[in-house]
Amino acid sequence: MTAVLKPTLARCLWVAPAFAALAILITVAARSLVGMTPVLQESTLLTVAYIAGGIGFIVGIGGFDYWFTWMRGGELDPNDHSQHGAHSWGDYFKFNTDHKVIGIQYIVFTFIMFLVGGMFAEIFRSELANPGQQVVTNQQYNGLISQHGVIMIFVFMVPVFAGIGNYVIPLMIGAADMAFPRLNAVSFWLLPVAAFTLLSSFMFGSFDGGWTGYPTLSEQSGYGMTLYQLGVQLAGASSIATAVNFLVTIIAMRAPGMTLFRMPLLVWANLATSALVVAATPFIAGAQFMAMFDREMGTHFFTVAGNGDTLVYQHIFWFYSHPAVYIMILPGFGIISEVIATHARKPVFGYRAVAFSSAGIAILGFAVWAHHMFASGMEPWLRVPIMLSTLLIAIPTGIKIFSWLGTMWGGVLRMTTANLFAIGFIFTFVIGGLSGVMLAVVPFDVSITNSYFIVAHFHYVLFGGSIMTIYAGFYHWFPKVTGRMYNEVLGRWHFWITFVAMNLTFFPMHYQGLEGMPRRVADYAPQFAWSNMLISIAAFILGASTLIFVYNMIHSARHGKKAGANPWGGLTLEWMLSSPPPIFNFPATPRVIGGPYRYGEEGAKHAIVPEVEPATVETTV
Amino acid sequence: MLRVVRKRGYDAGRDTFDSRRRACSKGLAEVKTIKVLPLAIMGVVVGIVISVLLVITRTLPVQASAESSDIDNLYIFFLGFSGIIFGIVVLFLLVSVYRFRARPNDEREGDNLHGITWLEVVWTVIPFVIVVLCAIGGLMVLRSGDVEAQARTKGQQIHVLGYQFGWKYGYLNQDINLKDQQTLVLPVNEPVIFELESQDVIHSFWVPAWRMQMNATPGQVNEISTTPTKIGTYDIVCAYLCGVGHTGMNTSLPGSIIPKVRVVSKSDFDAWITQQKAAAAKAAESATAETTTGSAG
Repeated sequence: MTAVLKPTLARCLWVAPAFAALAILITVAARSLVGMTPVLQESTLLTVAYIAGGIGFIVGIGGFDYWFTWMRGGELDPNDHSQHGAHSWGDYFKFNTDHKVIGIQYIVFTFIMFLVGGMFAEIFRSELANPGQQVVTNQQYNGLISQHGVIMIFVFMVPVFAGIGNYVIPLMIGAADMAFPRLNAVSFWLLPVAAFTLLSSFMFGSFDGGWTGYPTLSEQSGYGMTLYQLGVQLAGASSIATAVNFLVTIIAMRAPGMTLFRMPLLVWANLATSALVVAATPFIAGAQFMAMFDREMGTHFFTVAGNGDTLVYQHIFWFYSHPAVYIMILPGFGIISEVIATHARKPVFGYRAVAFSSAGIAILGFAVWAHHMFASGMEPWLRVPIMLSTLLIAIPTGIKIFSWLGTMWGGVLRMTTANLFAIGFIFTFVIGGLSGVMLAVVPFDVSITNSYFIVAHFHYVLFGGSIMTIYAGFYHWFPKVTGRMYNEVLGRWHFWITFVAMNLTFFPMHYQGLEGMPRRVADYAPQFAWSNMLISIAAFILGASTLIFVYNMIHSARHGKKAGANPWGGLTLEWMLSSPPPIFNFPATPRVIGGPYRYGEEGAKHAIVPEVEPATVETTV
Repeated sequence: MLRVVRKRGYDAGRDTFDSRRRACSKGLAEVKTIKVLPLAIMGVVVGIVISVLLVITRTLPVQASAESSDIDNLYIFFLGFSGIIFGIVVLFLLVSVYRFRARPNDEREGDNLHGITWLEVVWTVIPFVIVVLCAIGGLMVLRSGDVEAQARTKGQQIHVLGYQFGWKYGYLNQDINLKDQQTLVLPVNEPVIFELESQDVIHSFWVPAWRMQMNATPGQVNEISTTPTKIGTYDIVCAYLCGVGHTGMNTSLPGSIIPKVRVVSKSDFDAWITQQKAAAAKAAESATAETTTGSAG
């Protein structure tokens, strides 16, 4: 019973609605007091309710408890670690400041969202299996594809890397935790708020403008569109807070001796990604904020009637959303570097080139947004420099691919499931990257933009790229997180079914687009019937293969063979701790004495973990 | 005084891949025995095979505009280098997995090779050359001919109005304005400039056979030009999500009420225009007649 008063999910059940109700009350009361119609627009009340309810959820879960205590001058104990560390499974459902707990919360929550978004895809793939309308109406279809995109991007892809990074990076750099543990926890708990906002829009007919939500369609849509705009801003806030945390942690909290060029490449990747997030995400928040105001507050940023500029939304939106795709792949590149080096027992080939290429992709990524707008009617001259910068981005990406091939060459390849996913990633990501180079070229792009060729391209780089890296990372760090080994046989089945089904699902889409099938449609010309049936069947197999993974993870976490501290023989700091690591990670500050990939060097070490904190710390041996 | 704890192996538990690490001289020997250059050449050959397969299996709409063949040739060039790069990557992947696979309970480590600078330069420069070629090809096709100017002086000017969920056309360079036409009819081999507008949301005017697409955005006029070079009937597809009727705004769907674009000979076009002008004049007459009889004073 006291659970509803302590900072728990149970408390959120009454605090969040209370905040929502209070916001409605204040709005109506304020309007009455000044003589305006108390309720002019119900959607405005709903909007303030959702915003206040979201804040109330964070209050309820205990996100501001420490701050409220400080604010009212209460006693604060800096050594109070009651909110830190997983002492029982219940801690994973609470506001916990341990980066390892938060990492797992992120990973599990976002993976559930992956399954939800994937389910939406299976529903609309079942509609697309046959020409004509069988399963859903056009309106429902538009709602499903929009939700699929938004859930996958904002509540799965962007945050899952935050989760993996959250768990691994403080361990890799020898830190006891992230720089701002409470902010870290708030970042996580914003995600369920964002997901709730987005998914509850189904009550209002969902939102139907795709994940891009362009005006002026967004102005016409039902209330669900406002919830999309709000949900994206919430997810963006979570992302920015996490990125700030990563930036400070990586810059300021590395163990003594870990210079920038002794950092593992996952840390480099997250450093570049976090800089991208911090710089770019405010733009989509701005775009959605303005679009939401157009809908709810009568502003005219993008409306024609009010002399607004419809095209400007696209510029602002894509100024974030292009860096967003690099946000969704760069950490994955870092994971691949770690996995291949460890499982091939070889240093990463061309470490500096790979590190600098992450930075290069991040910087160049700001100069290419308008390649999503070649057919939008923007100034024709702008297409040329954007084409050139987009083509240039292929260079650092190619450097990475060749460096990974160089890493594998001459190594001793352990064909673990993690390594299989890394190798499969190279295969499918190269296909996606090559179609991207084609799309950079303006005359070709305008002949097939907004068609299934584009759908094929981004699914190859997002599924064949990011998701393969996510699976590789999951399998690679599973022993560290759970202390047990996953089942290799199930892992292999998962890999092969996923790999084959993924290619069967998305490769034919290239041909469909070239032949004239547009995207975001529930029906198509008869010539596309057989390919759509094939794709739908493959998509169902792809979805089913995920279940193998889920079973493997859950079963092995409970009954798998005990893994020990370092089943892969890795050299980076996280492998020098027990599996799972102790709550405060390192018994004493580690000392880094070399690069992270000193495989093949007799007796070489990356770092030393003392048992006790030394009186002085030397950084040379 | 610093006490360094030297550890020979790794911590706790029974590690599967264990502590004795020695430099892998065997790995080094294997690197030297497989010659990389012949393998790279084989990769190029495999890649060419893949490129040829991709080119042979390409399925594209009919080439019905002056730019279609240029764009399709660009695409073939793309398939060419893509196949080659993919072939090289996949061959190295497969050979690595085959030759450098760990044996069961293999505790060796790989070669302590951190990089080969000249190789990294090569694999930076070659992709750079390829993307420069892509840029040159793209710019050449983008700039080919001055279709827009030609269309304004001796071609057709068509106003296209997108709406939820169809298209209305205005033939702007006739002596009387033919607006609100439901059908797009064009003479073959004459450049045409489209002025696209929308009365509600963003639509996209896509004619795959012409390899041409441009959005119709509310609040602005977007221009796109092309020269239809083949007589026939072609699909018009709305390629931008415009609401619940977006799926149906596609002339290729069976039962679509939106007419496709018709490209006809010049004489047929002139005949059609004359017909439409007569119909428009008649409609204007009856409208004027109604207003004069309607307004009594």
